Amino acid sequence: MAEQQIDFPSAEWAAAFRDAINDNPVYAKHAADWTHGSVALVCHAEPAVGLHEDAVIVLDTHQGRCRDASFAMGRQAAERADFVIEASYERWREVLAGRIDPIKGMMQGKLRLTKGHLPTMLKYVESSRALVSSAARVPTRFRERLA
Amino acid sequence: MSVTLAPGAADNGFASMLAALIAQNLDAHPELRALLAHMEGRVAIVVEDAEVSVTLQFDRVGVTLHDGIRGIPDVTIRGSADDITRTSRIERLGRLGLPDPRGVHAKEALRALRERRLRIYGALGSPLLLARLTRLLSVD
Repeated sequence: MAEQQIDFPSAEWAAAFRDAINDNPVYAKHAADWTHGSVALVCHAEPAVGLHEDAVIVLDTHQGRCRDASFAMGRQAAERADFVIEASYERWREVLAGRIDPIKGMMQGKLRLTKGHLPTMLKYVESSRALVSSAARVPTRFRERLA
Repeated sequence: MSVTLAPGAADNGFASMLAALIAQNLDAHPELRALLAHMEGRVAIVVEDAEVSVTLQFDRVGVTLHDGIRGIPDVTIRGSADDITRTSRIERLGRLGLPDPRGVHAKEALRALRERRLRIYGALGSPLLLARLTRLLSVD
């Protein structure tokens, strides 16, 4: 039976992402001493795929675990996060498919850290990659461009 | 001490990252301001697998970051995103912040230099500029 795919972005996808993070021993290892707060992933509004507002997933990460992953429409949901990473829908799609490395993507300006302490983020390069590899394990259905 | 993006550099993600890194390090470690006041010259950093490059122009009162290679650099650093990122994580010793060759990241950076995955041109001519740069960009 085919694995059920989950729409990205959505509350269901965020919950599956949380579970995938908590099932990832690589993340647990590299983020074991992460006590620097929550991380918000902001997906910019993309009316061409039916996303009319920015979508935000906030990961409450702490010491190698994801305690919660919330989803909301509207960028104000990211305001309380300690780190905010932003990109277009298409860029997130490429990241989640493993076609863009998160650090290389930031260097290329495809992903932007718009809030948060960059030196801390650079110390945790491996845990950032493990977050992405966790996301790649979520069976994801991406929106297609509207005709 | 100013950290400035030259016109056009804001679209270069790596330039924006370096500007943020330097500004946040100066805020967190005020002693780095004295170090920056001794820095003069140009350093180009080329991230080969990301196809992006930046020139840092130091003039003793701050640093300006340019998109691409501007002018004739005193020091040029070339390597992959991984190897260049790792140079910021090299472990440091004591008050002077000298690299600790026993550190995991220091050993890996030395290996990258030996294997020519990481190349530094102009280090012999501008050793202090290079040493101060690595301290300024350190996240350790």
